[in-house]
Amino acid sequence: MRDERSRRGADGMRIATRWWKLIRDFDAIQGRILMAVTAIAVGVYAVATIASAYAILTREISRNYIATNPASALLDVGVVDAKLVEAVRKRPDIAAAEAASIVAARVEYRPGEWVRMLLFVVPDFDALRVNKVFPEAGAYPPKPGSILLEREALAFLRGKIGGSIRLQTPTGPKVFVMVSGTVHDPSLAPAWQEQTAYGYLTPETFAAVGGDPTPNILKVVVREALHDQRKVDAVVGELALALKARGLDVHQIQAPPTGRHPHQNQMTAVLTMFLMFAILSLVLSAFLTASMIDGLLAQQVRQIAVMKAIGARTRQIVGLYLVGIFAVASVAVSAGVPLGVISGQAFADIIARLLNFDIASHALPHWLILALVIGGLAIPLTFALVPIRKAARATVREAISDYGLSRQVFGAGWFDVFLTRLRGIDRTLILAIRNAFRRRGRLILTLMLLAAAGAMFLASLSVQKAWGQFIASSAQDRDHDLELRLDRPAPTAALLAIVAGAPGVRKVEPWSVTSAAATRPDGLAVVRTYPDGGHGSLAFQSLPAPARLSHLVMLDGRLPRPGEDGAILLNQGARALLGRPPVGSTIRLTVEGRAASYRVVGVVRQIVTPAAVFVSPTGYQDITGTGGKTNAVRIVTVDHGVAATSAVASAVEARLGAAGMRVVLSTSEAQVDGAVGGHVRILVVSLVIMSILMAAVGLLGLASAQGTSVTERTREFGIMRTIGGTKRVIVRNVIAEGLFTGLMSVVLALLLALPLAAGIGNLIGVLSFGLPLPLTLSLPGLGLWLAIVAIGSVVASLVPALNAAKLTIRETLAYA
Amino acid sequence: MLLQTRIDQTRPAASDSVDRPLIRLRGVSKDYETAAGPFTALRGIDLDVAAGDFVAIVGQSGSGKSTLVNVMTGIDTPTAGTIAVGDAEIQHLSQEQLAVWRGKSVGVVFQFFQLLPTLTVVENIMLPMDFCGTFPLAQRRGRAMRLLDKLGIGAQADKLPSDLSGGQQQRAAIARALANDPPILVADEPTGNLDSRTSDEVMQLFAGLAGEGRAVVMVTHERDLARYFTRVVELSDGCVTSGRAVGPTA
Repeated sequence: MRDERSRRGADGMRIATRWWKLIRDFDAIQGRILMAVTAIAVGVYAVATIASAYAILTREISRNYIATNPASALLDVGVVDAKLVEAVRKRPDIAAAEAASIVAARVEYRPGEWVRMLLFVVPDFDALRVNKVFPEAGAYPPKPGSILLEREALAFLRGKIGGSIRLQTPTGPKVFVMVSGTVHDPSLAPAWQEQTAYGYLTPETFAAVGGDPTPNILKVVVREALHDQRKVDAVVGELALALKARGLDVHQIQAPPTGRHPHQNQMTAVLTMFLMFAILSLVLSAFLTASMIDGLLAQQVRQIAVMKAIGARTRQIVGLYLVGIFAVASVAVSAGVPLGVISGQAFADIIARLLNFDIASHALPHWLILALVIGGLAIPLTFALVPIRKAARATVREAISDYGLSRQVFGAGWFDVFLTRLRGIDRTLILAIRNAFRRRGRLILTLMLLAAAGAMFLASLSVQKAWGQFIASSAQDRDHDLELRLDRPAPTAALLAIVAGAPGVRKVEPWSVTSAAATRPDGLAVVRTYPDGGHGSLAFQSLPAPARLSHLVMLDGRLPRPGEDGAILLNQGARALLGRPPVGSTIRLTVEGRAASYRVVGVVRQIVTPAAVFVSPTGYQDITGTGGKTNAVRIVTVDHGVAATSAVASAVEARLGAAGMRVVLSTSEAQVDGAVGGHVRILVVSLVIMSILMAAVGLLGLASAQGTSVTERTREFGIMRTIGGTKRVIVRNVIAEGLFTGLMSVVLALLLALPLAAGIGNLIGVLSFGLPLPLTLSLPGLGLWLAIVAIGSVVASLVPALNAAKLTIRETLAYA
Repeated sequence: MLLQTRIDQTRPAASDSVDRPLIRLRGVSKDYETAAGPFTALRGIDLDVAAGDFVAIVGQSGSGKSTLVNVMTGIDTPTAGTIAVGDAEIQHLSQEQLAVWRGKSVGVVFQFFQLLPTLTVVENIMLPMDFCGTFPLAQRRGRAMRLLDKLGIGAQADKLPSDLSGGQQQRAAIARALANDPPILVADEPTGNLDSRTSDEVMQLFAGLAGEGRAVVMVTHERDLARYFTRVVELSDGCVTSGRAVGPTA
């Protein structure tokens, strides 16, 4: 209010006088109003960002996946001809059927370094209706003799259209094949995540590179069962039995989870976690608003009493301040929601790129926008209602006689008495400590704000540390540098001798491996894998001598004893996949078409390893019929470096090739680390960003509380000045109070961080590895948070402190 | 409890109504629980105030003066006894009912003026009308200006309270107390913060308002203002020790 004309508001605009009081009261505390608006806007922005991304991503990932017309099941029946396909199409429950081949090959990633490659052999690209792919760039269908790569695979291999890749099928030589185009296959996890390339080629090209062009896979889509797993299992089971009755050998049935992208569950779980934290930040900002209004009302106690003395009812006073908060929240929402929606759309783009699907529409449902607006208004209003009602309900007598201090007399409680007995500290600092506890309600609000932010910050960094520790310990679980797989089992003794003789090889062990599936009551083996064969697969491995596994961490039970052929060891992934059979129970597995029962004797921890079960060498040979032979070896190299390991792999492969043993897959430690590394980085960075936002809200809350505290103590400062207190003492007192409050919050944050880190670590660990991450605390993170809070507390208290010191003694003593 | 009337030099009441008093207290007591134990602020007070009375409540510090006017205005509730103001017995009213009653029936003037600092003088006067809805929105400013003119501070209407002198602020506070045209005015040490000349001016205002037929009750410790009152009631330790508390004025 600066001139008389502007003061004529009540006349110029015919609104009730009380609203002018509200407008001018808020105008007098513009700084704190701005803080509240900012805090709510930040909270609303965070919720709007995550909620928008959630809505877009869950819709679009599903749309992308369903657009491919994913196969309900893939049946490996050995040979699939047109007559069979036609017969299957005629079945009433089958909506579509096609023949295909999916072959595990390998491609040269770097000179001498090979990675897994899945080849999808497509008889007719133009007639492809099941597990569709979408042309992206270059030729479609592929030119004769060329291959199409999935768009992410092209980037993964650092290739280009028109260039060549060097690949090798299980039965063919290493050949160069031109890349004539790229396609988008949204049904697969991105190549870089799986460390697997995907290629699409015609049967003719496949034959040219040494493969068998005869399709062996029957892809079927069950009618009206996009999200009906039971129907799919039933129909596919009937189909498999019918095929068996025709004399066909159904080697394996892959039936992926219906209607869900391979990474949809993880994406939803992570987004849900982010959404919870975003809502928490909105709640915290509402706390800050409540703290701000509590501070304002503390200064207005007498005014409220006067208003009640001149006829104001409680509901009129409540309504007055609620309208003020509504206005504050409205400004915040009008900024936070649009910005959040834009950010959410951008965030969705980032995630979609990571997961290799396209967003066709960024549109958001109207109800979501409405919910964001209502939530952004209702949450601050709800929290502000508490201090407003408390202030408005005070009787006139209580309010008239309020002098700005707590209604409780200081010194009444045991804690107050404890504080009065503090000795050995500067008296002004004792005053700061005692003053911090004078308004307990406000202190609790401020502590909660800062502690929640600190807990989030510490938990994020601790989870990152736990992840690193987990990966490091997983590397110890895998005490080998290389794993080589052959196209067919070879005599074990000869194989080991050849490998051991290669330069750079320190140790070699036989680790035969094949795939298995849980056996159904009808004798069929169904695996819940996607066409990439990765997710949901179960490896069946020959166990070396149990002593060789003693470095592994047992989660339950024991290692099998020598000669215990009916025993089986599971890793934690296999335990989850097989429905968590307890130790001592019996499970039935189908391996290469043969079923057998095994007794579970133990569960072992294997991180960054797919689901796997282990049986004795005899047990393995019995069921696979590979007595005396091995199809895979694990190698420990002399030099564990990436280049040295790669050289050893090449040397071993050459030696084996010369002996007529063909390597089809070579996996090194470096490749495993690469597959794991990128996943969590984005997650942790996002968590840290969120915790920094919450820290900003927390420090704003502290600044607001300090401002209010200083105003309430104005007369007290005047008295201190009259009895010898200098301005420096006042400033030190206020800053000490802020610093003390901030440091208290760090202790609280530490206590909250541990269960929070455990929770987040549990979620991320189980999603990623099937095991919770270990609980650990990041000490550098704690040190960093301590520094942030200390500096932030001093800065938050500095302005109120300087304001307090600026007032003259006369002004402070006259303050009423 | 009828006590000896104290003869003083106060002006006779403008009207000595033998009708039912405007304010009637019977057996009013007020006890408080303090950290030091229970404390009795008022002990069985009987008091009548008629229309046109200008009553001073005097006494030492801690005698119960402010408590007495607080229970009279509904700011505080008695532990025992009845308080009848006009036709209403107010001791059983809820806080909400008291607020409504007080806004229309009692004008309160505080020692430290208690004008709302972010409203102009005229807005401060309009505020009670706003809360009680006693006058249409379009009429409120006009009425407020007339009150300010009557009290001699019409020129200060659009200034903030901080721009006014103590005397001007107290006049504004009186104008606010008259905003809803209440029959009763209660003032708690209204001259406590004013110089003697200004105090005299304010006292003349109050006397004039009593002369208009309102009941005016004032707490004061300034005995040299006694000439303005029609009655002086003295309290000590929560009891009326002198002054005619009930019955017609002299």
